[in-house]
Amino acid sequence: MFETIPGIAISAAVLLLLVAFFRLRGDAPAESVSDGGYVPARAGLTTHGKPTGLTRWLTTVDHKDIGLLYILFGTGAALWGATDAMMIRTELIVPETAIWGLETYNAVFTTHGFTMLFFFVTPVFTGIANYVLPMLLGADDLAFPRVNAIAFWLLPPSLLLVRGGLITEVAGKVLAVLPVPVGALLALEPVGVGWTMYTPLSTATANQQIDVALLGLHLSGIATTMAALNFIVTIFTERADDIGWNKLDIFSWNILVMSGLVIFAFPLLGSALVLLLLDRNFGTTFFAVEGGGPILWQHLFWFFGHPEVYILVLPAFGLTSFMLPKLVGRRLFGFRFIVYSTIAIGVLSFGVWAHHMFTTGMDPRMRASFMAISLAIAIPSAIKEFNWIATMWNGRLRLTAPLLCILGIMSTFVIGGITGVFLAAVPVDFVLHDTHYVVGHFHLIVVGVIPLSMVAASYYWFPIITGRMFNRRLAKAQALLLAVGTVFTFVPLLILGYLGMPRRYGVYPAEFTTLNQAASLGAFVLALSVVLWLVNMVQSARVGPVVEDADVWNLKETGQFTREWQWFEEQLEDRQAELSRGTDGSATSD
Amino acid sequence: MNRISSAVAGGIAGTAVMTLMLLLLEVETRSAMDVFYVIALFVGTPEDPATGFALFVGAGIVAWPLLFIALEPYLPRGPDPAARGVVFAAVLWVPFVILGRGDIAGPLLIFYVAYTLFAHVAYGFTLGAVYGRLFDQLRQRGYR
Repeated sequence: MFETIPGIAISAAVLLLLVAFFRLRGDAPAESVSDGGYVPARAGLTTHGKPTGLTRWLTTVDHKDIGLLYILFGTGAALWGATDAMMIRTELIVPETAIWGLETYNAVFTTHGFTMLFFFVTPVFTGIANYVLPMLLGADDLAFPRVNAIAFWLLPPSLLLVRGGLITEVAGKVLAVLPVPVGALLALEPVGVGWTMYTPLSTATANQQIDVALLGLHLSGIATTMAALNFIVTIFTERADDIGWNKLDIFSWNILVMSGLVIFAFPLLGSALVLLLLDRNFGTTFFAVEGGGPILWQHLFWFFGHPEVYILVLPAFGLTSFMLPKLVGRRLFGFRFIVYSTIAIGVLSFGVWAHHMFTTGMDPRMRASFMAISLAIAIPSAIKEFNWIATMWNGRLRLTAPLLCILGIMSTFVIGGITGVFLAAVPVDFVLHDTHYVVGHFHLIVVGVIPLSMVAASYYWFPIITGRMFNRRLAKAQALLLAVGTVFTFVPLLILGYLGMPRRYGVYPAEFTTLNQAASLGAFVLALSVVLWLVNMVQSARVGPVVEDADVWNLKETGQFTREWQWFEEQLEDRQAELSRGTDGSATSD
Repeated sequence: MNRISSAVAGGIAGTAVMTLMLLLLEVETRSAMDVFYVIALFVGTPEDPATGFALFVGAGIVAWPLLFIALEPYLPRGPDPAARGVVFAAVLWVPFVILGRGDIAGPLLIFYVAYTLFAHVAYGFTLGAVYGRLFDQLRQRGYR
């Protein structure tokens, strides 16, 4: 009976009732102002001597502005990729294909991987490094500010190419409402071959969107490489006089090693993508059986692909090692060994690629050597974990939101890391390969370590960037939900893998239903925490309490008031001086 | 620009955001939800999505913003108009999700409910934020 009454009439009636209720209540509250009457707080946002409005953001070469652009772009991509993830978990609530059909399911997990790896994690970490690295180094800006800007502006078009067909499809959908033929606009189908693009599937699938996506990935690789070169040159040449290699902070060390990995890994991805494009369009046979064979693609791809996962996770380790000592009021335990472990991970990461290929029938002696190196990489990883624990020993733990995030990282990294040790063992990998165990293992790290470190950094540096404070209670709840949601979502996948449920399948036998529903419930918890984070960031940046004292985290008492906070303190003093002069009207009514 | 124009400007921004989000949903789900059919159903023209969409845009740009400025001082979560806009849009979402769901059922319904709520919240937030910014700016300069 609901369907017979126009919705608009019902909503109007409901709203009229509400109006009547509030009108008759008689205790009408005062009118509102948008900002609670605060002065504008724009400590971190440079405003002098630059164009304003849209022109500023389109033409900027300031590292802080570009950093914010990177972070906003990466956050947008993350929300988009998270929508894919929610679709995957919604589809898997029931065993049969209840919702979208298998082709859409394939497309969704493919674009989820592309978006999250290339357009969420790398840009956001590049953005954070853009913002704070020059401050930590005592530099005015990155070494090549214009290269920095170009590197950023290559990313939006590459995202559109990779997720492509979308613009045309959106246009098609808009026009489809009208009586216009739109078939041509809907021709490009989303890519559904998996983010690893294994041949022969990726060469044999006819969809033209694959070519567009390969070009987009190549473009994003160029952007990433440019940013990495910029970081390396900056760290080598732009350090202040009193920062020798022994005084370089741990976050810059991690960005340096990460950038080194990018320089070796991403050009190789670019070359492999070009070969794949040639195979698809120009009749070459690099990956055909009569040419190099499908295994060649896997070797090339994973020689990029495995260092890539360390490119993703090293900045997260860096942020954790950087923030943890400050939040517990102690020095980082074994600073030098954390640096060595970072470099060791960087070197070893190029020697482990074939552990993705144990089941392809390669020579057992090769398998054994790759197994040995894969097991060995657990040692530097464990050094970090143990040193973090030792850093907390006898520290003064204040359970602030960023510290809660870091405790979450340390917990999930134990599960995610140790499950990786099992996978590195050839016999275990034979059993668990291509099951949900693998998905659970790497998601415990790529969800339980990487976004948590970003969220921790977003809280830790929020006052510097916006001049305001976030809502601490909401932030604590959000951090807990994110950490708990990660375990809740991905530990069931580990069990599913042990029980033998393969990955990349949109349908599954009914006996796996309960565990899948548990994982989906966890995914909804994660979605809730993402929404809470978004609300906190947006609302606090608009109307959060203005920060008056630069020592937000009580860093002065332990002598850890680092350069970026000193810079912030100067900004605040400038603002105070401007306000106390009182003649400049723009300070109170902008 | 006065109070009403500010609200309509907020409505244009909010409707743009919401339309974009619904389009994204439509594209991502390969039309499994058929959001335009849902909207047409909601505004009472199930067989004519073009008219339904026009009504949707009209309501989002004119009707709801006007109602919002009438109700705004009485809504909870003040004084920030963006927060009040969220409350306002959440109320609008209730009939939308009940009347518009059509044949959607099962797990898809969970996704539909969550996503449309999110889209409505984004609409209300944008409406209130843009309205508050434009209107307060004008008021501070002495226009009333």
